[in-house]
Amino acid sequence: MSDLYRKLVDLYAGNELSEELANELVTAAGQDESLATDMATLKQTVDLLRSDEGPEFNESDYLRIIFRMQTAGADISFAEEDRHPGQYHLPM
Amino acid sequence: MSSNPREDSLAEKRWLNALAKGDSSAMNGLYQLYGEKIFRYTYRMLGNRADAEDATAETFLRVLKRANDLRADGAFKTWLFRIARNLCIDKMRQPKLLEISGERSYSGTEERAALRVTVQNALNELPMDYREPLILCDLEDISAKEAADTLGISVPALKSRLYRGRRALREKLGGSMEKLK
Repeated sequence: MSDLYRKLVDLYAGNELSEELANELVTAAGQDESLATDMATLKQTVDLLRSDEGPEFNESDYLRIIFRMQTAGADISFAEEDRHPGQYHLPM
Repeated sequence: MSSNPREDSLAEKRWLNALAKGDSSAMNGLYQLYGEKIFRYTYRMLGNRADAEDATAETFLRVLKRANDLRADGAFKTWLFRIARNLCIDKMRQPKLLEISGERSYSGTEERAALRVTVQNALNELPMDYREPLILCDLEDISAKEAADTLGISVPALKSRLYRGRRALREKLGGSMEKLK
């Protein structure tokens, strides 16, 4: 595979190619099996990474970290609108 | 952290100004804004919850120490990640007394959890030059400019490492992707 195709596949996998160029690359891949495989597997890798929700961060984690800061001497108080420090607002 | 970057930016400015004035509730505001992001980043770097909690707490303690020097000029988030990164690197250099394995840190179905563990293990096997751009850009959805600033490299260098890293990760994952699809 040429360096140009390799660079285009990198951009394609990260959704950084314009729609027009992406379509041209898909068309070229129809005639080139190694290019098609490279595109599909690299895109799958990036999609897999981006769909990873990551480790849980729950109320216990939230409070344990605050506790560690307070133990180290940090003065952390809560604003008027957040008077319930135990109530961590999980992202929706 | 909200899903609205403008709202986050305004909140960041408000809390940084409050922190500079000695308002102790500002620290909690900044922690609410960035705590989860920093925890997730440090967890990805260090691979376990206890070290990630330590590094996250220490990151925000550094914020307190620098409270009077911090400016709401848009560079705070990058600075915060850079502090977290340096703490992670320091921790990685320390000898491990006890390695705790089998920690359940991912929720969801067994298949999804297995997939995430597979990805995390494959990431851990990559050289740091590849691993860090993948964590920042693909896993934590940080912009290329912010990631480059965090790592102290240019955007083209960041992108080069990111693209090579994706290809290296693909090799590491090998057949796992097919099995776990």
